[in-house]
Order: sequence, then structure tokens, then C-alpha cells
Amino acid sequence: MSALLSVRGLGKRYGGLTALNDVSFDVAPGQILGVMGANGAGKTTLFSLIAGNSRPSAGEILFEDLPVVGLRPDQICRLGVARTFQIVKPFPSLTVLENLRTGAMFGHAQLRRKADADLACLRVLEEVGLLQMANRRASTLTLSGQKRLEIARCVATGARLVLLDEVMAGLTPGEVAQMIATLRHLQASRGLTLLVIEHVMRALMELCGRILVLHHGELIAEGSPTQIGENEKVLSVYFGAHA
Amino acid sequence: MALGMVAMAVLPFVANDYLVGTGLTLLMWLALTQSWCVLSKMTGYVSLGHVVFYGLGAYLMVVSWQQLPFMLVVFGAGVIAAAFAALVGLPVLRVRGPYFVILTFGLAELVKFIIMAAESASGTASRILFGTPDLVVIYFCMFALALLATSLLTWVSRSRFGHGLRSLRENEEAAETLGVPVVRFKLIAFVLSAAIPGMVGAVMALRSTYFVVGGVFDPMISITVIAMAILGGGDSAKGPVLGVVFLFVLQELLWANAPLLYMIILGAILITFVLLLPNGLVGLADTRARWRAQRAAAGAKP
Repeated sequence: MSALLSVRGLGKRYGGLTALNDVSFDVAPGQILGVMGANGAGKTTLFSLIAGNSRPSAGEILFEDLPVVGLRPDQICRLGVARTFQIVKPFPSLTVLENLRTGAMFGHAQLRRKADADLACLRVLEEVGLLQMANRRASTLTLSGQKRLEIARCVATGARLVLLDEVMAGLTPGEVAQMIATLRHLQASRGLTLLVIEHVMRALMELCGRILVLHHGELIAEGSPTQIGENEKVLSVYFGAHA
Repeated sequence: MALGMVAMAVLPFVANDYLVGTGLTLLMWLALTQSWCVLSKMTGYVSLGHVVFYGLGAYLMVVSWQQLPFMLVVFGAGVIAAAFAALVGLPVLRVRGPYFVILTFGLAELVKFIIMAAESASGTASRILFGTPDLVVIYFCMFALALLATSLLTWVSRSRFGHGLRSLRENEEAAETLGVPVVRFKLIAFVLSAAIPGMVGAVMALRSTYFVVGGVFDPMISITVIAMAILGGGDSAKGPVLGVVFLFVLQELLWANAPLLYMIILGAILITFVLLLPNGLVGLADTRARWRAQRAAAGAKP
């Protein structure tokens, strides 16, 4: 089986600023792939391009061998790609269940009937530990709860590929451990493929089989967590010149 | 609500012309406010130009009077208003928040002045319609439109389409990323919301029989609709019914008893609602129901 997601020579320029330059990689189905890099390295830009929130200046993106560049975000979502936002974007005055219903009704799953959608959503809420919150307004959740809600909405779309943008940032160590367990569980139970941006290094090392390192918009390293931990280029970028 | 509907249906058979006329006006506001909510309450795109469709419908009626059957013109007014919304919708719905409010207001004024210019170029300052249908016929046309608008908002509010609209109201980017075709949905809501005021305008032209451009494109119509929707609150069809009846009854009472204080009292009520009851009468009813349920629960286990 070929790659689920294939990124070829991807580039994005904002005027004179190059946010992403000639980035290529493949993601196999079922893989958890980490993306690391300092602020401004182009991680979120990469997600926006894959999810269709912005258009690349160069290169192509294939999802299940289908070119998705030029499609709108809602079309890409219906194909089976979902993303979270670094700064959470819940539907604040809707309930948690209603937040998920949007994903289930309009995403890849296309559960157009409310009863079908809600049933699927309640299952997702149970898996991410938000079931007791189902009828609470999303605005009343804690940050940790809202991050879980973002993930749950993505899962509710029935996506095959989920892009997680710093879902562990701002969480306590205990919450991080829980989140890792939840993500592992979702990946296993639903056969999800995850692309994970994270600054919490320990979490990334623990969760991901493979890690990409972006620096100033360039892909500078790619490999297993151990390989990345020993990579000269990565060390020099992160800890300064490595004598 | 069903009871009110029946009462409105039998009104023309039991009441005098004055009451029937009053009932007609009430139904007009109901149709206008329910249709406004289809776009503005559901999507949060607050339109200050709802009157433009009303005016277009009225204008279509007066220019085609006694040349076409009036029922056909009423229907045509809905189609024309919807077509106009479809035409201007894409550019207008690109902007959000206060920009959308100002743009819709400006658009309505623009159309008003274009038609004013056309009328004065042809040498007409005002028009009078002769041989308009009986008040009861007009009343039942409006009754049908109010019913249609209420059903439309009820359906939208409960449907998958409505859930998509609500999602994009809450956060447009998140909604789109979750698969909601936001541009198409906004446009459909705008078109649906425009058809009814077009038909209402056409029917009301038959009622007033005297037509001036400034009258049927009066911005106060848009503003009153918004006031009624705010007073009602919520995004189901219940809100506008409450808001319309409340403001309308208040209006009638104050006009009769304290015409000079009318605008002052109305202003004070609006400010009170916006500050203290942002969810309107529907929100007030919900809070009371919750409070009662809590008290009942507390009473059950002392």
C-alpha cells in the first residue's frame, strides 16, 4: 500500500518571506508522525497547506493518491483529513455534543441524520473522556477540555488523517500523560494516522515512531526519535554550535 | 403558538376592519422578522438592509399593477428578491461583523436612491393603486407569508443545514475545516431570507395603495425588525413570535396613550434587553424554567 499522505516539494511564500521551502515526505497509514521545530519553523503553515486553509506557492500534496492542492478546506475534510487549531476554535455557545455533530454531519463520515451523528459523537466523547461534558456549553470547558474537544471533533468527522497542532501545549504533566494515552488509544481503535506538532519534547519522543524536524521552513532531519536525538544538525539548531 | 395561529386565522371573520388591519401589520412584522432570522440569527451576519427586499417587492407590485394577476406578482416579487440576493450575496457575504452591517445598510440605501432617480426621471413622485383586493384577501396573503416564514425558520433551525449555519456563526474557519461548505451555505441562507420580504412588500403595496419610494425603503423597517428579533432572542421560531408580539403590543399601547414618550420608552427597553437579557424573552423563559426545575429538585429531597 502506498503512502496515505504524500507531500512533494512543498513551498509557501508570504511576499518576500519563505515560510516553507521544498519540503517532501510520506506518511504511511496508521503511522504517528511528529513534527518539531522552533517557533516560525513552518509547522503550522504545513498544516494549513495540507488542510486547505491556505494555498501552497509550490509543490503538491497527495492524499490517498489524490491531489488536494486547490481544494477548499471543507472538500479536503470530506476526503478524510481533519485538523485542530493551535489556538483552539470551539463553537463556544454550542454544547460539546453539538460541536462534534458538525464534524459528524459534514465531515468524511457524512452522518446526515442527527440521530446517527449523535450516536457516533457520543462514542467519540467516551473515548476522549468528555462524555460527562456532552451537554455543557463548549465555552465552560477548561483549556485541557477544549483541546480534547478539538481532537474529538476531528475524530467525529470520520477522518483517516488527523493533524494535531500543539494539543499538549499548556497542559500539566498529568494531563500530558493522559493525552498521550488518549491519542494512542484513538490511533489503535480507529486506525487513525496522526501528524503531530508538539513542543513538549518528551511527549513527542514517547508518542511518535518517526519525527520530522523543520527549521526556517526547511526539512533538516527525519528519523526515529533516537536518530533525531543524536542528529548533529538538530542538536546544533536546538542547543547552539555542538563544539 | 398553535392557539395564536388559530386566533389569527379566525380574526377577519369576527373583528372589524380596524382590528383586521392591526392583525395584518402584526403578521407583516412576523413574516419580516422570521425571515430576517434565517440569515442573521442563524449565521450572525446581522443585516441592516432587510428592507431592500421589501422595497423591491413593493416596487414590482406598483409598476405591474393591473397588467398582471396580483398573485403572480406576489410570487414574482419573491423570485426577484431572491435573485437580487443571489446576485449581490457573494461579494456582500465576504465581509463580517460591523462591515457587513454597514454594507447591507448602504446597499439598501443605494437601491432606494436608484429607484428614486428612476421614478423622478419618469416624472412620478408617487403612485396610487386603484382597485386593490379586499382587506380580507390581503390579510390571508399575509397570514400565509407569516406561516411560511415561521415554517422556514423552524425547518432551518432544526435541520442539518441550520446546524451548519450555527457552526459557521460560532467560528467560520473551524466550521469550514470540519466540512461545512460555508460560502454556499451563507448564500443559500441569504437567498431564503430575501424571498419572503419580497413577497411581503408586494402584498403591503396592495394594502397601503399609496406608494412613495422613501416609504417602502424606509430604514426604520430594517431597524424595527432587528429590535423585534433582539427582544425575542434565541434562534428558533419561538423568539421572533415573542419579540414581535411584545414590541407590537407595546407600540400600539404607547401610540395610543403616550405618543411622545413612545421612542424614549422603546429605547430604554432595548438598552435593558441588550445589557441584561442578551438572549431576549426566550432566554428569560429558559432561565425561569431552569430555576423552577432546580427548585422542584431541591423540594423533592429536603
